[in-house]
Amino acid sequence: MRELLRFFGDFLQGLGGLGVVLATTFDGTLRGKVDGRQLRDSLLRLGVGSIPVIVATALFVGGIMVVQSAPLITRFGAHGLLGWGAGFGILREVGPVLTGLMISGRAGSNNTAELGTLTVTEQVDGLRAIAVDPGPYLVAPRVLAIVLTTVLGTLLSMAVALLGAALSGFGLLGVHPVTFWNGLVSGLIGPEDVLHGALKALIFGIIIGATSTSFGLHARGGAPGVGRAVNQSVVLSALMIFVFDALVSFAAEALAP
Amino acid sequence: MIELIGIHKSFGEKVILDGVDLSAKEGEIHFVIGTSGAGKSVLLKHIVGLLRPDRGQVLVDGVDVTHFTEKQFYPIRKKCALVLQHATLFDSMTCEENVSLPLLKHTDLSEKAALARARSLLEEVGMADYATALPVRLGDGMRKSVAVARALALEPEYMLFDEPTTSLDPLSARRVDALIAELAEKRGVGCIVVSHDLPSIFGIAHRVTMLYKGKVLASGTQEDLLGSTDPVVGQFIHGKPEGPLETT
Repeated sequence: MRELLRFFGDFLQGLGGLGVVLATTFDGTLRGKVDGRQLRDSLLRLGVGSIPVIVATALFVGGIMVVQSAPLITRFGAHGLLGWGAGFGILREVGPVLTGLMISGRAGSNNTAELGTLTVTEQVDGLRAIAVDPGPYLVAPRVLAIVLTTVLGTLLSMAVALLGAALSGFGLLGVHPVTFWNGLVSGLIGPEDVLHGALKALIFGIIIGATSTSFGLHARGGAPGVGRAVNQSVVLSALMIFVFDALVSFAAEALAP
Repeated sequence: MIELIGIHKSFGEKVILDGVDLSAKEGEIHFVIGTSGAGKSVLLKHIVGLLRPDRGQVLVDGVDVTHFTEKQFYPIRKKCALVLQHATLFDSMTCEENVSLPLLKHTDLSEKAALARARSLLEEVGMADYATALPVRLGDGMRKSVAVARALALEPEYMLFDEPTTSLDPLSARRVDALIAELAEKRGVGCIVVSHDLPSIFGIAHRVTMLYKGKVLASGTQEDLLGSTDPVVGQFIHGKPEGPLETT
């Protein structure tokens, strides 16, 4: 029972820290105080380092979309709709959600573990002791890097997943890439679908960045505490990704003309 | 002068500091001693605002900093450099990058000039050969020496050391003692040193304060403590396993 209460206590504390992390990032960004070197390092480590996993996931996701739709496409001979079907799902739903989950699992957990270790080994206090504000130095660069990674990674994953779908369509169903492309740009899908996915990615990036940073900074109790923080951060990020995915989808439907 | 007046601090129901007074002036080495868990490190963190007292006052050069905000504490932290117990260097940076960090953040030095100054500080603490090494590759003593170099970067008026010789070999420990003594004598830096390292205490301390059960049990010169008739003080400074001293 005590463990359960502690889990929820930590959970709520981490949740309360989200606002502080976001305010710190916003403030640092607006005042141009974000540490450039830390931002560059975070982008390289969290962003560039995530590219292989994003590309690999997206390639397979594109292929899976075609495999799943193959029976219907074949039965109705609707080969011309393959580009539209795959594109619609990838751009609006699968691209941002899967990229968000992959970045949460890779970059978010890495961020929480690293900040958690810095916190429990008093390196954050060490920073404060030499009068360096952890906000612009540690918090804002990491949140910004994760947001940028999620948005750019999602756009990359959309392109790669479409490539994967086109290749699979050609290999499995004999749909020529030009036919696939025509289905994609026939007018049923437009820039608003890309924007829809990018907006979701932006929201997911903010969620992952703020959650992973907040839980890392509130880690307590040595290595087990860091492990707990990583666990809670990844679970909460995934949960919030699905919740906000639904909210944005509903809102887009409601606002659509 | 640093002055702590009637500091009270509790964590939950556990009382750590129960009305502690302490002061240190320029050029003085003031040791704070006591058993583990006596509240020595907690007391030190109050001076630079890493912890806030429940009651009491913290004065730095006559200025009451007790209720300063985090940002208001930054100038105080430049003036009073704190070297934490576990060195707290950034593992992802080399030693010279760690030492140059406060210079890059608080001075107009270029990166090249800051690194050059960092190397000169590392030389002062005998760590010049490890300038480009990552802290994770160094032993505890070496890490502490690098942390001291980083603390010296902004030329503080006061230095606060949290167990600077704990886990060091005797030779490295005496080297750190010599460095602290030099800071006080040659540069006039006021030092508050939290320690339970008896050779350090009776080697370089100008004044010693012993904390026990959240209060100041004894305070004075080395001779005052050696001549104390208090059985708890006697047990501690002679390192006797048997006696009235209760550990937490």
